Amino acid sequence: MEILIYGTINSVALALYALGFAMVYGVSRLPNFAHGALYVLSGFITWTVLNTLGLNYFLSILVSFAATAIIGALIYQFVLIRIRGMEISEIIASYAIALAILEGMRWAGFKGMNYTLPVFIEGSTTIAGVTVDVHRLIVVAAGTALFGLLWVFTRYTRIGLALRGMAQDERAALMLGIDSDVMAVVAMGMGSLMAAMAAALLLPLGNIVVESGYNVLILAIAVCIVGGIGSWGGAVLAAFIIGFAQILTVVFIGPHFQQVVALFAIIITLILKPSGLFGQQKELEERV
Amino acid sequence: MRRNHIVRFSMVLFTLLVFTSGISGAAEKPIVLGCPLSTAYLYGWDAERGITLAVEEINAAGGVDVGGTKRPLKVEVIDTRDLEPGVPVSEALLAVEKLILDRKADFILGGPVRSEAALAAMSLLSKYKKVSILSTGALSPAYHATVEKQYDKFKYCFRIHGEAKWLVKEILTCLMEIRDTYGLDKVFIMVQDVAHARAAGKILGDVAAKQGFDIKGMDIYPTGTGDFSMGLLKAKKQGAQVLSIWMDMPESAILLKQWYDLKIPALPFGSTLAAAEQPGFWESTAGKGQYCLANVVNAGNAPSNASDWTMKFYNAYEKRWGLPPEGLGSSSSYMAVHVLKDAIERAGTLSSDKVVAALEKTDLMGVYGRLRFDPKTHQVIPSFDPKEGAVGSIFQWQDGKRVVVFPSSVAMGKIQLPPWMNE
Repeated sequence: MEILIYGTINSVALALYALGFAMVYGVSRLPNFAHGALYVLSGFITWTVLNTLGLNYFLSILVSFAATAIIGALIYQFVLIRIRGMEISEIIASYAIALAILEGMRWAGFKGMNYTLPVFIEGSTTIAGVTVDVHRLIVVAAGTALFGLLWVFTRYTRIGLALRGMAQDERAALMLGIDSDVMAVVAMGMGSLMAAMAAALLLPLGNIVVESGYNVLILAIAVCIVGGIGSWGGAVLAAFIIGFAQILTVVFIGPHFQQVVALFAIIITLILKPSGLFGQQKELEERV
Repeated sequence: MRRNHIVRFSMVLFTLLVFTSGISGAAEKPIVLGCPLSTAYLYGWDAERGITLAVEEINAAGGVDVGGTKRPLKVEVIDTRDLEPGVPVSEALLAVEKLILDRKADFILGGPVRSEAALAAMSLLSKYKKVSILSTGALSPAYHATVEKQYDKFKYCFRIHGEAKWLVKEILTCLMEIRDTYGLDKVFIMVQDVAHARAAGKILGDVAAKQGFDIKGMDIYPTGTGDFSMGLLKAKKQGAQVLSIWMDMPESAILLKQWYDLKIPALPFGSTLAAAEQPGFWESTAGKGQYCLANVVNAGNAPSNASDWTMKFYNAYEKRWGLPPEGLGSSSSYMAVHVLKDAIERAGTLSSDKVVAALEKTDLMGVYGRLRFDPKTHQVIPSFDPKEGAVGSIFQWQDGKRVVVFPSSVAMGKIQLPPWMNE
């Protein structure tokens, strides 16, 4: 039962890390290596607004959502748009932005272990004999709701449909009057917003440290590669595979090997099915 | 004519000024202390602050008397980043070499902080014959064992803070006190995947088992782990009564929050627990750190009356930096400067071999008791009694305060158990 409960929590957390990354890549084919940095940045924005401006906690979170989404969109509009389509340049540029953000925060004094956010609801409860703290249950509920909302958004709204159109075939979308640059900016803004949402849900469980930006990026990439880069559904499924594999590793082998699981999953996927579980990229090449 | 006089007078005055300033500059050429520290981490910045405070005090008092000439101290810090996950040891070595060759450091103080990096840097220190006093982070017993094994090569390396083997002895004695008082004898060990923690965890497990403790298991966590719930539940299921934690990563705060949220009926005992050492820990965990024990290696890093100097240092640090000493490297880094000053003044020179000889004869009452180096290993001599050697400090978070509870010679209070362990 412990494995089931904590496996689910871990999987939802991984899916939250990865969804924004998957969305940006799915729409604009941009591997946003600044995703982890935006996650941490959002946490520090919430902390700063909460502790220095004294705003209400949930208002602080909303401010960080808006700020992170805008920053993400601006990064695309002013930097990444110029190198769109040049994959290596995109990786280098977005990773450079990540380094600038993370090391900039460290330089600005955001270092140490004392930057924390309060959990939404204190306390713990017991489910089938397993103790779980309430905030983790909120993570699962809010994460599931977020996946549902994203599904509805991409199927029943004009912007969502445009994003899906872009993800499926950019040229066809252009012919239908969808502005691909605008949609790419929107996707980057939304991807950043999802990083901020993941931060709001997951950072209260621990503390906000610059280094977690790198960890989040690695986990997001692992999930997206296994799920198929650009596939949102694949990312969720891969998050559950890796999430449960990690918990099983902790229980049956040892926590020492927990972080190896994600990297091992990348290697296995690249050897057996480079396009991932649901990835369309390279799928034709693989068939040939 | 008059204008010419003014010009000539100005030129003479300028020349005199330059000349005299040159002379005074030469007379007061600073002694450069190179500090390779992981400055973004607690054990780096606390050491930097301790060193800076000592240097400011010494310079304000006129500097260091080197063979009759008073010379000021100057601190040069390079960020080694050696505590950051994924940063190779070579980064720290580059920092040490740059301090020696580029910044012209006369002595190396403080780090490298990570044991692996400190061990690797020993050959560099030997190559350049630079006297070094480790004062933060590196706890591996291999450091002083290496000095003992190849004394002639590594005689320049000293360590002024406690090391893992002594810490294990200290922790074990404290655990025995807890067992005698509360009957807690089932221990679960949780360590970080770094050299000193792995070694210390294993030693602690072996030694504690020999002393009759029931060791329920040992989990090793990679640096950067963000979820400890499965390990905590495992400890609970196995009936552990004490969690022996050996971690210096920031994420160790998550472990303590989860311990509180899950109400694990085991006393968290941070043999090294960076997150809990900081005074800000209480606010950052919203009081969830209550009852957590943490070892800050040497007295002075938490309030106590180990010596007359302890609270003087504690208060001076708080006045200078606006917050009390935070991590295990504060008091030892501060004392490293004072001990070096004392040795240089006795040696009367900056010559490495003579300073080494003087350091070996060090015997002064410092912030954490009597400070002497073992002449064979160059490790500071520890003791439970501050009159006999360097004394440690284990404190417990009680109502928002860090209360020193061990050793009894410096204790300011008694160990308490969380209410869910009394039920």
